[in-house]
Amino acid sequence: MIEVKNITKSYGDIHAVKGISFSIKAGECYGLLGPNGAGKSTTINMLSTLFSPDAGEIVLDGKNIKGSIKQLKQELGIVPQEIALYENLTAWENMLFWGSIYGVKGSVLNNKAKELLKWVGLADREKEKIRGYSGGMKRRVNLACALMHSPKILLLDEPTVGVDPQSRNLIFELIQELNRQGMTIIYTTHYMEEAEKLCNRIAIIDSGKIIAQGSLDELKRQSGISDVVFIECTQELDEKMLAEKLKTQVMVNGHSAQIVEDDACKHITRYVVAFEDAGYEISLIDVRKANLEGIFLKLTGKKLRD
Amino acid sequence: MLKILHKELLSYFKDKRAIMLTFLVPIVLITVFALAFGGIGGGSSVNTIPLLVVDEDGTPQSKEIVKNLDSVKMLHIRHTDNDTALDLIRTGKIATALVIHKGYSNAENKIKSIELEYDEAQSQQMGMLQQYLMQTLMNSVAKQMYGGGKFDWRTMMKKFGVNIGTDDSSGTKEFTAVFNKTADSIQKSFGGGGTKGGDRGLKMTSVVKSAQDNVGLVQAVAGTAVMMLLFTLTGMGGRILEEKESGTLKRLLYSPIPPNRILMGKMSASIIVAFCQLMVMLMFASVAFGLHLWSKLPGVIILVTATAFACSGFGAFLAAVVKSREQLQGLSTLIILSMSAIGGSMIPSFIMPAWMQHISPVSINYWSIQGFYDIFWRQLPVTGFAFLEKVFVLIGIGAALSVFSFRLFTKNTLSVA
Repeated sequence: MIEVKNITKSYGDIHAVKGISFSIKAGECYGLLGPNGAGKSTTINMLSTLFSPDAGEIVLDGKNIKGSIKQLKQELGIVPQEIALYENLTAWENMLFWGSIYGVKGSVLNNKAKELLKWVGLADREKEKIRGYSGGMKRRVNLACALMHSPKILLLDEPTVGVDPQSRNLIFELIQELNRQGMTIIYTTHYMEEAEKLCNRIAIIDSGKIIAQGSLDELKRQSGISDVVFIECTQELDEKMLAEKLKTQVMVNGHSAQIVEDDACKHITRYVVAFEDAGYEISLIDVRKANLEGIFLKLTGKKLRD
Repeated sequence: MLKILHKELLSYFKDKRAIMLTFLVPIVLITVFALAFGGIGGGSSVNTIPLLVVDEDGTPQSKEIVKNLDSVKMLHIRHTDNDTALDLIRTGKIATALVIHKGYSNAENKIKSIELEYDEAQSQQMGMLQQYLMQTLMNSVAKQMYGGGKFDWRTMMKKFGVNIGTDDSSGTKEFTAVFNKTADSIQKSFGGGGTKGGDRGLKMTSVVKSAQDNVGLVQAVAGTAVMMLLFTLTGMGGRILEEKESGTLKRLLYSPIPPNRILMGKMSASIIVAFCQLMVMLMFASVAFGLHLWSKLPGVIILVTATAFACSGFGAFLAAVVKSREQLQGLSTLIILSMSAIGGSMIPSFIMPAWMQHISPVSINYWSIQGFYDIFWRQLPVTGFAFLEKVFVLIGIGAALSVFSFRLFTKNTLSVA
C-alpha cells in the first residue's frame, strides 16, 4: 500500500533523515520506534506531504505521491503529537470543523461526529468546551477528529504523550479496534511497550536511519539477543563502572540495571561477582525474554530515552 | 532567583529580531513623533505653507504682490486659475488660494479686491498663513495705495492732504499720527473676514464647509477608528502564532486545504470583524456626537469596506512575517504608531512639516482619514474621482500586502510548523 524508497531530508547542515526505506501493507499496524530526534517526525511530515523529501520517493498504491498529494491527504488521517484542537470550541464544534475541511458535509458530517464522539466515550460531554477537558479526554477527541473523513490510513505521531495510564489503555483499545476493522496504521512512539502492544511490524530509527525492521520476533533474531536480565540493588548504581566490570552493555536506572545477553541464565554467576566487586548488594535478579528495549540497546548501544 | 534571572535574560537575548525591535521601536517612535509634532509651534526646521495664487488682474501692480509673496521663504507659491484652485481646495489637495481679482490695480480699496479662499478644516494652517500674508500684503498694498511704485512717506502724507513743508522734523509728528491711523486701518482689513469682518477687510471665503459635521469630530472619529482597527487586526498575527503553538496550524496544513487558503480564510474573517468594528465606531459617533452617518451611508460602506480590506492586508502581513510574540508586539507597535503619526490619526497631517506631509500617503491611515474627510467634511460625491481615488488606493494597499503575505506565509509557516 505505502512504499517509502530511500528518502532523505536535511535542514541546512542537519541530516534529519538519511535514506529511509520501508513498505506497509494494507491493514497493517506499522510502528516507527526511536528516541526523540531520531527522524520519526520528519518521516511523518514527509509521509503527510507537509515536506517533500530531498531525495527518494514515497509511493501510494503504486503511484508516486508527488502527483497525487490531494488524493493522499484525503486518504490520510493524522493524529498529531500536540493536542491540535480549538480550546475555546466545544468537542462537537471541533469535530464538525475538522470534518468539514476534508469536505465532509451535511448529515454525513453530523452523523460521523455523533458516532465518533460516542465511540471515544464523550457523547455526553460534546457540548463542553475543550478547555475544560482532561488531558486524556482531549487526546481522545484529537484521535476522533482525525477520523471524521473516514481515512484509509491513520498516522499517529506519539498520540499518548502526557496521558494517564487509564486513558492510554483506552486509546490503545481504540487503535486496536480501528486496526481490526482494516485500517492501515502508522504509529510513531518512543515507548517500547506501545510498539510491542500495538504494532505488527516495527522499524527502529536512530540518527535518521532505520537500523532494523520487522516483527518483534524478526527483530529479536536480527539483534541476536533473546534474554534481558533485570538486577536490583540496595544502592544507586554507576553505569560506567558496571559496564567495565561486566564487559557488556548495561542500562542503569537508579537502583536497577538491565543487561541484554543471549542465554543469560548461564551468566548469572558472572553478574553476581561483578556487582559484588563493584560494592553493590543485589536484592533481586529477574531474567526475561528479550523485548524492544533490549533490542534497541543491543542495536544502538544506547537507551531509547537518551 | 539569580538562576531565574539568568534564564530569563538568556531566552530573551536568543530572539535577535525581538531584541532589535525592543530597542528600535522606541527610538523610531520618538523620532517619528518628534518630527510630526515639530510642525506645531515652530522649531528650527523650515515648514513652508503651500499657497495657490490666482492673478486675474495681471497688471504690474498685481504682479508685484505675487512677486513679493514669492519672496517669502515660508510660502510655497503655485500659480493657477480660480476654477482649478477651487477644485484643489474642495478635494483637500491644498488648503488655501489667494485670488487677486480683476480690477485690483484700479480699485480704491485694494484689499477688497483680494480674496483668500480656504478649507476650514485646515484652519490651523490658515492661522500661520495669515501671519505671513499680513506682513507681505500690508507692505505691498500700503505702498501701492499710498506711495505708488516706490514708498515715500512725503507722497503718502500729501495724499492724505497734510502739508508737511520741506522741514523733515516738522512733518514727523503729523506723519506718525497718519501712519499709525493707516497701519491700524490696514491691519483691521486683514484681521476681519470679508464675510464676517466688515466692508473694508480682505475677503475670506470658506470653500469647504460642512453644514452638518464639524471638522474636529471627523478628525477624532476617523483618526481614532483607523488606528484602533490596526491594533485589532494585529490579533490576526497573534492568532496564527497561537495556532502554530497549539499545533492546529500544522493540522490544517495536513489537510487538503492549500496554505494560502488558510490565510485567505483568516483574512476574510478579519475583514468582517474590521468592517463591523468601524461601523460600530461610526454609529457610536453618530449617536453620541451627532455625526451625520445615515445620510452618507453608501460612501461610508464603500470606504469602510476598503479600509477593512487594507487593514486586514496589514494583519495578514504581520501574520506572515512574525515568528514570535515578541516580534509581533514590537513590529505591530512600530508600524501602527508610525503609520498613525504620519498618516494623521494623532494629529492632522496638514499641520505636520511639509516633507512629512509628502510621506503621509504611505500609510493606510492617511487614505482612510482623507476618505472620511471627503464624505463628512468635503461632502464630495461618492462617484467622484477624488473620493474613489482614496478607495482604490486602499484596495491597492490591501491587495499588495495580501499578495506579499500569501507568498511569505507558506514559506514561513512550513518552516515553523
